Amino acid sequence: MGSSRAAPPPDPLRGERSRRATRARTFLGRLSSMLAFASASLLATIFVPASLEGCHAGLDAPIPAASADDAPPRHGGTLRLSSFGAIRGLDPANIADGLVSTIHQLLFAGLLDFDERGEVVPRLAERFEVSPDGRSYRFFIKQNVLFHDGTELHADDVKRSIERALHPTAPNPYASFFAGIRGYDTFSKGKSDELSGVVVEGSYVVRIDLVEPDSTFLSLFAMQVLRPVCKSAGRRYDDGFVACGAGPFKLKPGGYVRGAEVALVRHDGYYEPGKPYLDGIVFTFGVNMSAARYKFSNGELDTLRDLTAGDLAAFQRDPRWAPLGAYDRERQIMGEALNTEIAPFDDVEVRRAVVAAIDRTHYELVKPSTLRAANQPIPPGTPGYDASVKGQEHDLAKALEHMKRAGYPYDPATNTGGYPHVIPYYTYRQGVSEYTAQVFQQEVAKIGLRLELRLVSYPTYLAQIGRRKKVPVGPWGWSEDYPDALDFLESLFHSKGIAEDDANNVSFYSSAEYDRLVDDAKRAIDPGRKKELVARAVAKVLDDAPFAFAYSVRFYEVHQPYVRGVRPHPVWARNVSFVWLDRKDEGRKAGLLAPMGGLARR
Amino acid sequence: MTMARTLARRVAHGLVVLFATVTLAFVLDEVVPSDPARMVAGAQARAEDVEKVRRELGLDRPVGVRYARFLRRLVHVAGTSAEGHATCAAAGPLHLDLGKSYQKRLPVVTILAERVPRTLSLAFVAVLLQALLGTSLGVFAAKHRGKKRDRGTVGASLVATSAPTFMTGLLLQLVFAKVLGVLPLDGFGASFGDHVASIVLPALTLGLYGAALYTRLARDEMVTELGRDYVRTARAKGAGPARVVAHAFRNVLVPLVTLVGLDLGALVSGAAVTETLFRWPGLGQLAVEALLDRDGPVLMGTVLVTCAGVVFSSIFVDLAVHWLDPRARAEGPSRTRD
Repeated sequence: MGSSRAAPPPDPLRGERSRRATRARTFLGRLSSMLAFASASLLATIFVPASLEGCHAGLDAPIPAASADDAPPRHGGTLRLSSFGAIRGLDPANIADGLVSTIHQLLFAGLLDFDERGEVVPRLAERFEVSPDGRSYRFFIKQNVLFHDGTELHADDVKRSIERALHPTAPNPYASFFAGIRGYDTFSKGKSDELSGVVVEGSYVVRIDLVEPDSTFLSLFAMQVLRPVCKSAGRRYDDGFVACGAGPFKLKPGGYVRGAEVALVRHDGYYEPGKPYLDGIVFTFGVNMSAARYKFSNGELDTLRDLTAGDLAAFQRDPRWAPLGAYDRERQIMGEALNTEIAPFDDVEVRRAVVAAIDRTHYELVKPSTLRAANQPIPPGTPGYDASVKGQEHDLAKALEHMKRAGYPYDPATNTGGYPHVIPYYTYRQGVSEYTAQVFQQEVAKIGLRLELRLVSYPTYLAQIGRRKKVPVGPWGWSEDYPDALDFLESLFHSKGIAEDDANNVSFYSSAEYDRLVDDAKRAIDPGRKKELVARAVAKVLDDAPFAFAYSVRFYEVHQPYVRGVRPHPVWARNVSFVWLDRKDEGRKAGLLAPMGGLARR
Repeated sequence: MTMARTLARRVAHGLVVLFATVTLAFVLDEVVPSDPARMVAGAQARAEDVEKVRRELGLDRPVGVRYARFLRRLVHVAGTSAEGHATCAAAGPLHLDLGKSYQKRLPVVTILAERVPRTLSLAFVAVLLQALLGTSLGVFAAKHRGKKRDRGTVGASLVATSAPTFMTGLLLQLVFAKVLGVLPLDGFGASFGDHVASIVLPALTLGLYGAALYTRLARDEMVTELGRDYVRTARAKGAGPARVVAHAFRNVLVPLVTLVGLDLGALVSGAAVTETLFRWPGLGQLAVEALLDRDGPVLMGTVLVTCAGVVFSSIFVDLAVHWLDPRARAEGPSRTRD
């Protein structure tokens, strides 16, 4: 008898299950292939460029100079510089960016300037006199000073240039700085056609009369805003002005390509014989940091200023490059503005608690190469800075004591107490502010102040911080407009700086005593008296604490060895007026295939 | 309905879209809390100087007055503008006036006239690269479907599309400008030869990124077409591989041309990152600057040009599809939906 076990009935779904299984296997197979590709792609995307970049890690060697260090200056060559930003224009009557001062220093010479110690010295003026009461300044202009168009500078050109820059039709954001000139009030309102306080006394003598003595006037007048411009500029501001002054360099025809480049050539009629040394200078704008570094190492740029933190550290560490770089003077102070009209910062004890709570060295950690802890209103590079001033000091115990006096005792051990409300802190995504905001948030948390960070765009931030009763606390600071402590003290804390909108005194700090000290310092002709008044004003603002000073900012620049005569200037960043080039050739360092011919430009 | 009438209707619709977009942009520019006068005067300008700038720029007037002024002078007939014609661009009696840039103090039409050709040239070269490279690779991959060559091509396109454009751009700068030294690092150049050399790297940056999309589209469409009956018939009738591909490719053209048109429209607005990286002075860079500086007139100008680019490129796509696809021609213009 054989097995006759019946076959199981056919499974009606067997074929379907088999097809489903096959489709599932196929799907999973394809999914795994895609994931494998995706992973390989991701790794390739990361590793290939990183490897290539790694192959080029380390700094190229400096391009050596042709002669020894003590060789005399030689004429010729074109200096090439770049920046990541761009300038807005070349008219000194419309300066609104920090970059343009370097170019203005080359195009427009003034009656006064600053020497290498930051002292005001005559330049196009032979000399100047100040009246005993400090209200009149008489300038004796050098003869045979030629503008770029070959015409001679006279006293009426000085008057014309000043009126052109201060006329209400000029979009000059610095016009009100010169409100102390007699007649400015009627002139700026268009009620008078000429500025009566500027008087031509002869072909080469001009007198400026002030309403009252002003200890800052010479520093202000030495700035670039009122420098003489050619007759072709006319009596009134015009957008079509082609830059023409009496500086050591003039604009090459077609040399200003907006947003891209400014090309200058030597002014052969410059009043100092034998100067400048260079044939020309070319500024290129919008160059990002990596491109700038490539160009610098190739010899296409002669100096390098916009450096990443890593590159800066590398240049400073490298013994070949370290002697070729230097920091600018620190002329910018940053910190936290405490709005004295909004709780809890309307209470001086809370403000004192904040300034004592901050460990300023923590700010330096945000960008160690650029930020330096600061604890007073004047940055170290500005005249009037006093290193002996004690300033705002970090003392957590004192900070807690101030909070207790304010009625907000806080216990760090149990995290109880403190100010009961969350305080909005406005900041913006530009520079380091986004990161210093976090430092500040953590510092004040230690004394029971809780901040809510609100990140807005920079334009929005500017509009909000200067509006009354809007922003309780936010980052603020000041860059030196002119080299004088009063620039900071007046702009940041004088009650004149308060407005419903567009306030510069964004702490909205108002103290009659402080105002009087600053006003008296401004009127003080005697330097000793001025110094004393400035010191008292600084002490007052430190005590009232409308501002928690945090850090100052400094910039580093490195140059190739063949760029000679480079000396950091106390006022002018990138002062290249009288450098010279000592280079073996003007050629570009070759890339690997450049001998075969390439399309790359010099 | 004739083609001409359809075209006229599309253009009219486009103008309505332009008007609506420009109006929306104007409103948004007003709503954003910021102060253009402060941006012009600078962060450290005193209140009275900021106020002077505000008056000079007309920003002290009510928003309704400013909008009416903007519209009144935007497009007008010669001699009818109360603003004068210093900031106008003229096409016969018709003038276009976008005012003056707050920051640059130049007529906006002058700035756009400088930037638009540069952006267009970059856009055209980039799209050409994308289309040629991507389509070639896509057809190649489709012909070798399922094989290593297919997988390799798809993988490479994935890499190209995964990498951010700035990374691709930096890599190209490193290789071609720094290491090999055969192309300029950045900039626009002074002579025509310089322009040609300068456009290579930014166009390649955009091209590599976009080619990946064309590769995938072309591959997938070709695979579909190569599986159709008419292709099988063509093969059965003895058509060689090249002829078969040519047959199939004709049908792939329609979606590709659509993509080209949309791509062009998008690139007309400018590739801000690529332009910034390569210092290519185009519309993208201009728009970003205007946004950050709160330069309203320039912002409106870039919006207008961008919108016009997108509108007219979509009209171009419609026309091209109509020409390419016999079915569209046979069924008449009504097939193309508005």
